[in-house]
Amino acid sequence: MFKSLLFVLKENYQNLYRIISIAKYEYLATLRDSKFGVFWSFASPAIQVLTYWLVFGIGMSRGKQDGIEYLPWVIVGFSAWWYISPCITGGCSAIHSKANIISRMKFPVSILPATTCAKELINHFFMLIIAIVVIIAYGFTPNIYWLGTLYYLVCAFIFVWSFTMISSVITMLWRDMKTMVRSFMRLLLYMSPVLWTARFRSFPMMNKLMKLNPIYYIVQGYRDSMIFSKPITAHPHLAIYFWGVCALMLIVGSALMNKFQKRFVDML
Amino acid sequence: MDKEYSIVFKNVSKIYKLKAKNKKFAKDKKNYKHTKFYALKDISFAIEKGSVVGVLGTNGSGKSTLSIVLSGISDIDEGEMIVNGEQALIAINTGLNPQLTGMENIDLKGALLGLSKKRIEEIKESVIDFAEIGDFIYQPVKKYSSGMKSRLGFAINLALDPDIYIIDEALSVGDKAFAQKCLDKMAELKKEGKTIIFISHALPQVRKFCNQALWLEGGQFKEFGDIDEVADHYAEYVEYYNGLSKKEKQEERDRKFAARIIEPKEKKRWHFFKK
Repeated sequence: MFKSLLFVLKENYQNLYRIISIAKYEYLATLRDSKFGVFWSFASPAIQVLTYWLVFGIGMSRGKQDGIEYLPWVIVGFSAWWYISPCITGGCSAIHSKANIISRMKFPVSILPATTCAKELINHFFMLIIAIVVIIAYGFTPNIYWLGTLYYLVCAFIFVWSFTMISSVITMLWRDMKTMVRSFMRLLLYMSPVLWTARFRSFPMMNKLMKLNPIYYIVQGYRDSMIFSKPITAHPHLAIYFWGVCALMLIVGSALMNKFQKRFVDML
Repeated sequence: MDKEYSIVFKNVSKIYKLKAKNKKFAKDKKNYKHTKFYALKDISFAIEKGSVVGVLGTNGSGKSTLSIVLSGISDIDEGEMIVNGEQALIAINTGLNPQLTGMENIDLKGALLGLSKKRIEEIKESVIDFAEIGDFIYQPVKKYSSGMKSRLGFAINLALDPDIYIIDEALSVGDKAFAQKCLDKMAELKKEGKTIIFISHALPQVRKFCNQALWLEGGQFKEFGDIDEVADHYAEYVEYYNGLSKKEKQEERDRKFAARIIEPKEKKRWHFFKK
């Protein structure tokens, strides 16, 4: 069991340059598709946030969330979501979309989840820039706690990476996985404290259950660091739970990856 | 004994599962889902180091399966395969991204093949030289002619520098000049003592270039030996097959197909996922 985990970690480590190159050039290739490539990397998430702000912040007059104006509150949470969501949906086809490569080259398949997650990181940095500009405009000043975001960024990467490790293999065995995950994403968005605090006034039980969603820890962490100036040790129990979930997913994912590594070609 | 051989196959089989909808092929209608099919059946041969082997066979005889099995992309199901040295499949157009420039594609495909950053820098000049694309190297590959694209892909692939080259229908993508250029390059490799497995339909090309031949028919081993001998027998067979009437051809194909079907055995784990 741990043998396959070690194998996957080793393969990923040895192919670090491969992962970075593939992520970089794939991102470049998508930029070339449009004339104003980089512009859309900024504009597309900005328009999304604008939509939510108009609907929830102004339209439904949500007002302050946890004592913070709605726009800076939502933009920080949303920047985390804007990274997690495309990784999870795109990650399902991480192996399948490289069909032509894995069927014609001797290729370490287990690095494909990491390339997908690394590619999305580039977009995430653009989103973080927008978020930082907005919250500074709202009067938040950078402080030492902002560095905590880096820790939560690592958390987010490890989480989507280990999730993708499982989902990409399952997609190869069972193609419906991709559709299923995509269908559940909308539900997941509202089950995470991204657009609202995800607190059920009439069902206090639900509040506990919401914390079982690992995304809760990441989104909350982004806000803790950038808005509430809390250190990364603010939620020790959640942290242990989060890393436990990630470790479990990674172990299962690498076992699956190892089992089917040489079989993917026959499944295309 | 293994030292002088680069590739040894001992009773190697490769099995594919047939899709459930091919119900009519199954003999046992109840268990038709688990019908399996020999893509390669009981293949044994040994290729000496430094020899150039042409793989012959009509369509669907398992040549492409052999190439991916040989290159280590896909696992074998039965038997034993011994490979001495590093093998690589030459996949010309794989891994090129049409949106990126030629230069960026050298980086990308080099990385995909697993070359180090240093090695990629080293090969750049020779790749550009071989590909004969000059200043087009800074244009996106989608603007390239198919010949340019093939030369670029082939040249990057050569940088892998394996001990065993596996070339699958690769030369049919470009024009005659490209094929000649590749053949010249491979003649060079031949002199260096590399083992080359050359999979092609073009019998004259195989005759000219290879010194040994392997003939597969219907997923089964037919003949392995000196190029002239095997190629003559193969040419005879193709002539014989083409001379058959439509009905006889159908019978011949059915006969071959039936020999490759495996009766469903016990249920395998995970069959729920593998439709």
